[in-house]
Amino acid sequence: MDLRFTEEQEILKQSARDFLATECPKTLVRELERSEKGHSPELWQKMAGLGWMGLIVPEEYDGIGYTFQDLTVLLEEMGRNILPGPFLATVTSTFPILEAGSEEQKKDLLPKIAQGEIILTTALLEEDGVFDAASIRVNAAPKGDDFVINGTKLFVDMAHVADHIICVTRTNEGAPEKGITLFIIDASTPGISCEVMPTTANDKLCEVRFENVTVPRKNILGKLDEGWPIVENLLRKGAISRCVESIGAIQTCIDMTVAYAKERVQYDRPIGAFQALQHKMADMWTAMETGRYLAYEAAWMESSGLPCAKEASMAKAYVNEVYRDVSKWAIRLHGAIATSDDHDIPLFYRRSKAADTAFGSTDFHREIVAQKIGLG
Amino acid sequence: MDFSLTDEQKSRSREFNDTCNELNKKRPKSLVGFEAIYELDECWEYNLYCAREFAKKGWLALGWPPEYDGKGDMMDRVLFAEARGYYGTPGVDIFGVQMLAPTLLQAASEEIKREFLPPIARGEAMWCELWSEPNAGSDLATLAATAIKKGDEYIINGQKTWNTGAHRADWGFGVFKTDPEARKHHNMTFLLLDMKTPGITVRPIEYLDGSAPYCEVYFDDVHVPARNIVGQEHEGWSVVNLLAGFERSGINEIMSMMRGLEEMVAFCNETKRNGKPLSKDPVIRNRLAQLACELEAARALAYRVADLQNRNEMSLMDASAGKIFFSELGERFAFVAGDILGPYGQIRTSRWAPQNGQWEKMFHEHFITTISMGTNEIQRNIIAWYGLGLPRMR
Repeated sequence: MDLRFTEEQEILKQSARDFLATECPKTLVRELERSEKGHSPELWQKMAGLGWMGLIVPEEYDGIGYTFQDLTVLLEEMGRNILPGPFLATVTSTFPILEAGSEEQKKDLLPKIAQGEIILTTALLEEDGVFDAASIRVNAAPKGDDFVINGTKLFVDMAHVADHIICVTRTNEGAPEKGITLFIIDASTPGISCEVMPTTANDKLCEVRFENVTVPRKNILGKLDEGWPIVENLLRKGAISRCVESIGAIQTCIDMTVAYAKERVQYDRPIGAFQALQHKMADMWTAMETGRYLAYEAAWMESSGLPCAKEASMAKAYVNEVYRDVSKWAIRLHGAIATSDDHDIPLFYRRSKAADTAFGSTDFHREIVAQKIGLG
Repeated sequence: MDFSLTDEQKSRSREFNDTCNELNKKRPKSLVGFEAIYELDECWEYNLYCAREFAKKGWLALGWPPEYDGKGDMMDRVLFAEARGYYGTPGVDIFGVQMLAPTLLQAASEEIKREFLPPIARGEAMWCELWSEPNAGSDLATLAATAIKKGDEYIINGQKTWNTGAHRADWGFGVFKTDPEARKHHNMTFLLLDMKTPGITVRPIEYLDGSAPYCEVYFDDVHVPARNIVGQEHEGWSVVNLLAGFERSGINEIMSMMRGLEEMVAFCNETKRNGKPLSKDPVIRNRLAQLACELEAARALAYRVADLQNRNEMSLMDASAGKIFFSELGERFAFVAGDILGPYGQIRTSRWAPQNGQWEKMFHEHFITTISMGTNEIQRNIIAWYGLGLPRMR
C-alpha cells in the first residue's frame, strides 16, 4: 500500500494545474457557458498538443498509453478548474472503443481521438432519464447491410459539437438487457438533428433526434444485441471519472472559502476566527477527504482490473452529495456576495447538479450498492 | 497510488483473522459492545485470555523495534486491528498496547522502557489512563491534581475522572501538576503508577445505560517513585501530545461496523414484516446502502492515515477528519439500525433482542468515540487551526 501519486502522476498533475490556470481562466469558463458551442477549439488544440486526449490511448494507436488511474489524476485537475468542453464526453466515449472496438474501428478512430482531431459523445439516456436497459427505446432496424435508427436521445453531453456519436439502441425486444446494440455514428449523417437543452450548469446537454438515420452494419461497436455490458462498463468508468473530477472542484470550493474567511472582516476580526464557521469548514474538509480516498480507491481498482462495481457506485453516491453540500456551504459561508452571478463559487454549485446526474444519481448508485452488499 | 497488500501482508492478515475467528468461539455471550470487558468479570477474563494468546504470537509488540522483541511493522498493526475489529475480539489493551507502548518507545528512558514494555508485550500488565479531571476536560492543561516531589518520590493528591477500566487496571499513566507556579503547558509531568498503591480510591461511574466501565480515581498522598517518569520533569504536556497522535486511524471501529452491516443485511434478508422481507423495502435498502458508502469512505480514509503513519509522515488533519467521520458514522449507524428494528430496537441483550442486543448497546456506546480521545469539536478545531490555518480562538 502506498497512497501517494507516482512521480509521473505528480508531473502530470502539476503541468495540468499550471496549464489550466493560464489557459482556462474563469472568464473563459463564463464565456463558454454563454456561447452556443460551449467549446473552445483553440484550447482543445492546445490540450491535444499536451497529449491529453490520447492519454489512455495505447501507443500503437498514436496515444500515450497511460492508465485509467493516470487519467483520473488529470481529471481531478480539470475539475479543480472546472474545464468546460467535450473532454469528458470524448474520453468516456473512448472507453467502449478501447474495450469493444474492432481493429478497423480502433485504427480509424483512436489516432484521430489521440490527436484531438475528433470529438466524441455517447447518446444513452432517453425520455425516462434513467440508466437502465429497459428505458432504451431508440430503435435500430436492420435493412440490408445497414441499420436504420429512429428515436430521440436526451441529455447527450456536447452532442452539438461531436463528430461521432456512440448511440445505444434497441435491436431486440426480448429481455431488456439482451437487445441493446451500440453504433458509432458519424454525426453528419442525414436524419440527425441536435438541440442544446437549457441546464443548471449551461453545460450543453443535447436532445439528439434520429430520423431514419442509416448506419452501416460495420459501425456496430461490439456485438449485435450484446451491448449492455459495454454500457455498464462505460457507466462505471464514467462514474469514477466524474467523481474524481468533482473532488478537484470540491477542493477549489474549500480553498476559496477558507481564503475568504481569512480576509473578510466583521465584528473587528476575520470571519474565519468564529468557530461556527471554522467547524463548518472542518466538516467540508472532512467530507472532501473521505470522498477523495473513496474515489481514489475505486479508480485504483478500476485501473488494476479488479471488479469494482460496488466501490464505483459507493464513490459516486457519496461524492455526489459531498460536492452539492460543500459547494452549497461555500456559498453560505461567503454570504450574499457568493449568490451573485459574477462570483466564481456559483459556477461550482451549479456544476454539482450536473455532476450528480451524470453517470447515475445518488439513489441510482445506492440501489446498486444495496444489491452488492447482499440485500435480497 | 496503490491500495493493495503484498502477498506477505495478505497472508498475515489471514493469520490475524483466523486467530480472531478461533478466539471468537470462546467469546462470552454477554460480551456486547466495546466496553463490556471492563464491566463483567467473565468478559474481563476473556479479555485477559485473548491478550495472553496474542502475546504468545508476539502480536502485542507489533511495530516495536527488534531490541524490545518487537515484530512486524505499522501496517501489521493496521491489519491486526482490522481483524480484531471485524470479530470484536478484545485482548489488545487500548491504554497499554496502543497508547502507552509507542509513547514509551519514543519518549521514555532506557530503564523505563526495559521495565514497562515487557509486561505489556506479555499481556500481563493492564493499564488505565489518568488524564481528565472534573474541571479539566478538553482544556486538559488546566488540570489541578498535583504530584509534588519529595526526595525520590512524588506525592500525588487530587482527582481524575472518566478513567476507563481503572477498577480493572494494574497500572495507570497520567499527568499531574508538578510545578504549580510554572506557566501552563510547562508545569506538569507524565507519571506511571501502580494502581494498588495505598491512597488510591477507584469509584466506578454509572454510565447512561446503567453499566459502569468508567471510573473516578481519587489520590490521597499517593507515593510514586520519582523514576517512574516519561519525558522530562514538568514537560508532560509534550508527552500527552505525542501519545494523542498514536493509533488514530479508527480501522478497528470501522471494521466492527463493517461486521455490523453484514449482520444487519442478514437480518433484513431473514426478517419479514407484513409478509415481505425487510430487505425489499426501498427505504431500508437506500439507508443501508448509504451507510455502506460511508463505511467504505471511512475505511479508505483510515488507510490514508495508516499509510501516512507508516511512513512517519504528518497525519494530523486526516487523523482528526477520520476520527470525526467514523465516530459520527457510528451514531448514524446506531440510529438507522434502531429505526429498522422498530420496537425491538429498545430491547437490551435478552431472548427478545435481535442479534443479541448489539444495536440497543450501540445506541449508548456511540458517545464513547465522539467524546473520548479529544471530542469531535476539538478535532474540528485541530483541522481548522492547524490544517486550514484559520485564526485560533483567543
